Amino acid sequence: MNGRGGILCSHCLLPVGVRATQRTVNGESHAFCCYGCCIAFQVKNGKSEEWEAAWLLIRLGVGGFLSMNIMLFSLLLYAGAFTGVDARLLPWIHLLLWVFATPAVIILGGPFCAETWRDARDGQVTSSALIVLGVGAAYLYSAFAVIEHSPHVYFDTATMVLMLFTVGRYLEAAGRARAARNLEPLLAAESEWATVVESGAESRRPVREVSVGALVRVRPGERIPLDGAVLEGESHADEAVITGESRLVPKEVGSHVIAGSINMDGPLLIRSTCTGADTRWAQICRLVRDALTRRTPTQRLADRVVGIFVPLVLSLGGLTALYWMQWLPFDRALLNALSVLVIACPCAVGLAAPLATSLGIGRLARRGCLVREPGALEELARTGLLAFDKTGTLTSGRARVVRIETDDVVADEVLARAAGLERHSEHSFGHVITAAATARGLAPLVAGNVRILPGRGIRGNADGQAVMAGNRALMSELGWSVAPTLRERARSLEADGYSVIYVGWGEHVCGALALDDAALPEARSTIEALRGRGLQVILLSGDLAHATQRVAVAAGIENAQSGLSPEAKRAALRRLRQRYGVVAMVGDGLNDGPVLAEADIGIAVGSATDLARETAAMVLPRGGLWMLPWVVDVARAVRMTILTNLLWAFGYNLIALTLAVLGLLQPVFAAAVMAGSSILVVLNSLRLERMPDPVRTPSSGGAEAQSTADPFPVLPVAAIEQG
Amino acid sequence: MSAVAYYLMLFAAGFAGSFHCVGMCGGFACALGHDPHGQAATALRHFLYNLGRLTTYCFLGGFAGALGQVICTPQGTAVSMLSGGLDAAQRALAIIAGTLMIAMALQFFGLLPRLHRLAIGFGSSTLASSLRSLLTAHGLAAPLAFGVFNGFLPCPLVYAFVAQAASTAGALPGFLTMASFGLGTFPAMLMMGTVGQILAPAWRQRGVWLAGSCILLLGLVTLGRGILPFPAHMAHGWPGGYPA
Repeated sequence: MNGRGGILCSHCLLPVGVRATQRTVNGESHAFCCYGCCIAFQVKNGKSEEWEAAWLLIRLGVGGFLSMNIMLFSLLLYAGAFTGVDARLLPWIHLLLWVFATPAVIILGGPFCAETWRDARDGQVTSSALIVLGVGAAYLYSAFAVIEHSPHVYFDTATMVLMLFTVGRYLEAAGRARAARNLEPLLAAESEWATVVESGAESRRPVREVSVGALVRVRPGERIPLDGAVLEGESHADEAVITGESRLVPKEVGSHVIAGSINMDGPLLIRSTCTGADTRWAQICRLVRDALTRRTPTQRLADRVVGIFVPLVLSLGGLTALYWMQWLPFDRALLNALSVLVIACPCAVGLAAPLATSLGIGRLARRGCLVREPGALEELARTGLLAFDKTGTLTSGRARVVRIETDDVVADEVLARAAGLERHSEHSFGHVITAAATARGLAPLVAGNVRILPGRGIRGNADGQAVMAGNRALMSELGWSVAPTLRERARSLEADGYSVIYVGWGEHVCGALALDDAALPEARSTIEALRGRGLQVILLSGDLAHATQRVAVAAGIENAQSGLSPEAKRAALRRLRQRYGVVAMVGDGLNDGPVLAEADIGIAVGSATDLARETAAMVLPRGGLWMLPWVVDVARAVRMTILTNLLWAFGYNLIALTLAVLGLLQPVFAAAVMAGSSILVVLNSLRLERMPDPVRTPSSGGAEAQSTADPFPVLPVAAIEQG
Repeated sequence: MSAVAYYLMLFAAGFAGSFHCVGMCGGFACALGHDPHGQAATALRHFLYNLGRLTTYCFLGGFAGALGQVICTPQGTAVSMLSGGLDAAQRALAIIAGTLMIAMALQFFGLLPRLHRLAIGFGSSTLASSLRSLLTAHGLAAPLAFGVFNGFLPCPLVYAFVAQAASTAGALPGFLTMASFGLGTFPAMLMMGTVGQILAPAWRQRGVWLAGSCILLLGLVTLGRGILPFPAHMAHGWPGGYPA
């Protein structure tokens, strides 16, 4: 029984729960969460050769034919067509209705009966039991009425209730399938097929059987099934599902392609570089599947309510019948009780949370934002405070040259000489310096006889002079002269937490490069957007105070705490939680795993490639910090949808139940309202699909442009220290 | 206009309109094909298909009529048609139905852009594509079931007459309205199925125009019932609420 817990419905991708309907369609075994999904799936996917798919439709059609005829005759009866002279026809009309109703009840009610029986064996009473009991009572009473020649029969009620419930479930399932559309590409990784080219011949194979190094052909419009490198062809790829990148990425010979992205406009031949199970897509697929099958706290609450609701309604129905029997004829009392049973089906309550959550997960996943813990969406919507880690989250995690101090030479010359040396270095600072020179359009001064001094720097010769670039240790080792002002400024930069690289030539230190991990260009606009949504923002960093403060100022965060060990960060979160209730922590997911786990919601941005080891509840794609406000929007919309759904489901149930108990609601009308109510929940949830895509704010784009134009935003040290 | 003339008119509209149906439903009818058990079995097959369709139409008509009745007489008591004067609700209903029918008629003449997007409902497009599995299924239940679903497929002609049925504000006249219309579509559709011959496009076009004219006339009459000051029951000449 528990084994079924992790299975998703083949039709709507909601978890099937413990009582799945198993059916074989097109030779494959499928599990469905409900009768509606079972119908809708077979209607949609059943092949004409399949007897079963056609059989289901035939049953519905014949059931519809019978119940519509019953309804027509009943309408005529109600309109008084068989009074007066025609009154002797009445028993025969009743008999005809009985003849129509018997197969209709068997055909349409069968699935509900089977469901009730299955639940009963598991010791459960569910909503289908309410229908079976209500319809059964109406049918049996009417059958006796025909035999007894009573003036009233209720075959129309019995069949119409069944018909409305069946149609309602079908429409609901059709709507839910729309909700699953966003999720489909994410869950396809396991069942994907690849066109493998082997010795000139093409064959279709499941992805899991394709080995590393195999040649795979991908036609335009197809999903790329495996990670690989392009051998032939040119195209564009839509990688949004994996990377969150909304632009099309050009692909040519030698380009790397990602499994799960869509090949847009040209055929590609790729050589796979990894097996189907190891791609990020497959990891995402497993992760999303896990998240979908997990129940959120709201969902568990709703389930518990439904659990006690059904027996409660059964007894309420019984009491209603008993009460009204004192005042009304037996058949009227029975009808009132039937209304109670029908109206109180808690279908909408059970659907309220999982549908909205899975829509939210799908919506986010389309842009590469993964939700591991479905409850996190609701938590994020309630959160009052977002705590950020610094390195790799608000900053890129890669240093940049932010300042150049010189001693009577031009800054560009210092950079050009340093770049000439560092071209030969493998150290990360080396790349940073050459990149800075390139960004300024400088040609590195060619250096020869270059030697790398591990842990200290690099030296060589250029223009007949010895040139060096390295840390203070190298400088004092060489004993080159330094102007006191330069020494002072460099020391103060070091004290401020910059990495300083001294550059000298001709036995004289002529300049110092300050390297820093600066705030991301989009950090400021993102923080502003979050604050605009009423969220408090705080920076928790393990770095030095000055470095932290600089990033805080650049990102516009007023509240920053520095020098925190992971333990101290967790303690800080605990304190913040007491003040703000729900707190979220945004980190890079690499070094701050335990801290992310401590927060109510851990959000990892651009994290480790290995999703399987991820501990954060939500994972944003690399460079996805700017999407955070949108993620908050989606989370809030999901929570709002769940709340409105539940409010509607419960509110309507209470009002309608009261009306039914008071005998003011016809059973057929109750069934129509009931079916409509589930569909309303579906429609309300589907509004989430229309949420706009995230947009990069103009200010973040502007900041980006500015930073490329001027890589050295020279901040006066005094301004930094003032914070 | 007497009740008989009214229903004859509906029948004629259905008959003319069925040349329009031939485009879509006629294709279905042809696809139902021949039964290997001979001519009689084939005829039965097509009769059942059309019976299913007719049932759906009748049901829609009765339902729309009952709905109109509920709107016009919120207390659910006596039908107001007996009382002589059309009350405001019934007038409003007549105006809405009349306008709808005129819009449909204009669409038949190609004077209005197609309202098809409006017609493709929630989930019905999936249904339409998968109904084909029923066409080839054996047995007599399949054509019946197919006919039932067919009746629900989006079709401007049906909508126009359902609107008319609603404006009658009674389950029985509503039912009769749709029944007349449905019976009107019978001959062409039966012929289509058994003969399997598609009419020449020119004839179909003439049929569509004829149907459009009928619907336009009915629409104008219905609209007139809502707008014109005199309380005469132009379209419902029967005494006592129902035709004899």
